[in-house]
Amino acid sequence: MIYHNLYITVLILLAIMLFPCLVRAVRGPRIADRLVSVNMMGTMVMVMIAVLALLLDEGYLVDICLLYAMISFLAVVVLSKVYIGIYEEKRHKAENPDEDEEGGMSDGSF
Amino acid sequence: MGVFEWIRLIVGGVFLISGLATFFTEIFGVFHFRYVLNRMHATAMGDTLGISSCMVGLMIFSGWNFTTLKLLLVVVFLWFASPVSSHVLARLEVATNENLEDHCTVYPELKMLEEELAATADPAKQADPASSDQTKA
Repeated sequence: MIYHNLYITVLILLAIMLFPCLVRAVRGPRIADRLVSVNMMGTMVMVMIAVLALLLDEGYLVDICLLYAMISFLAVVVLSKVYIGIYEEKRHKAENPDEDEEGGMSDGSF
Repeated sequence: MGVFEWIRLIVGGVFLISGLATFFTEIFGVFHFRYVLNRMHATAMGDTLGISSCMVGLMIFSGWNFTTLKLLLVVVFLWFASPVSSHVLARLEVATNENLEDHCTVYPELKMLEEELAATADPAKQADPASSDQTKA
């Protein structure tokens, strides 16, 4: 019973702490701010899943926690690479606008 | 409950609550600092110390079984993944920020070195803006 109450308290505290992360993700002035706060939310959700695994006594939920860690890492890396590529392409197009469309992708920024 | 049960509850609870305190500090730091590269400093602490403390507390609660091993695996994966994602985010910020000098020091020696490199490079590469950016990042 003590363990049950402790787990419920930890889950409620983590759920309350998720809202400031969401506020930072909405307000963040730059794109990197949003990605940082999404990464932070991912870490907190990982702890929530692990606490839930012990609360429900279901060991397989920890596997889901590991999968969540991998997908969150992949999302951050892929989104950063995509935004760097978009920026480079936009600047390339702004500096020499007379070039055709095939030339824009050839600088290998991905 | 016996004495060992109480010891397990207290030690695990201390680890779990200290992990939550680390998360709270992380959020405080993210709202306290004014720039992304400073905020990243605060979030890296929660990614490593916060989740490690929480997972150690949960491992103590769980006892000797495969759930403990899998919780350890999550922590070990995050030790590798968190620096890599921080590095990629910092590269994104440095590559896309037009006026980086307003927020942090860009060393003048580095800028001089870049200019030397651009001068010695062949003129075809000098005209291409993307290749000179890759040496900076």
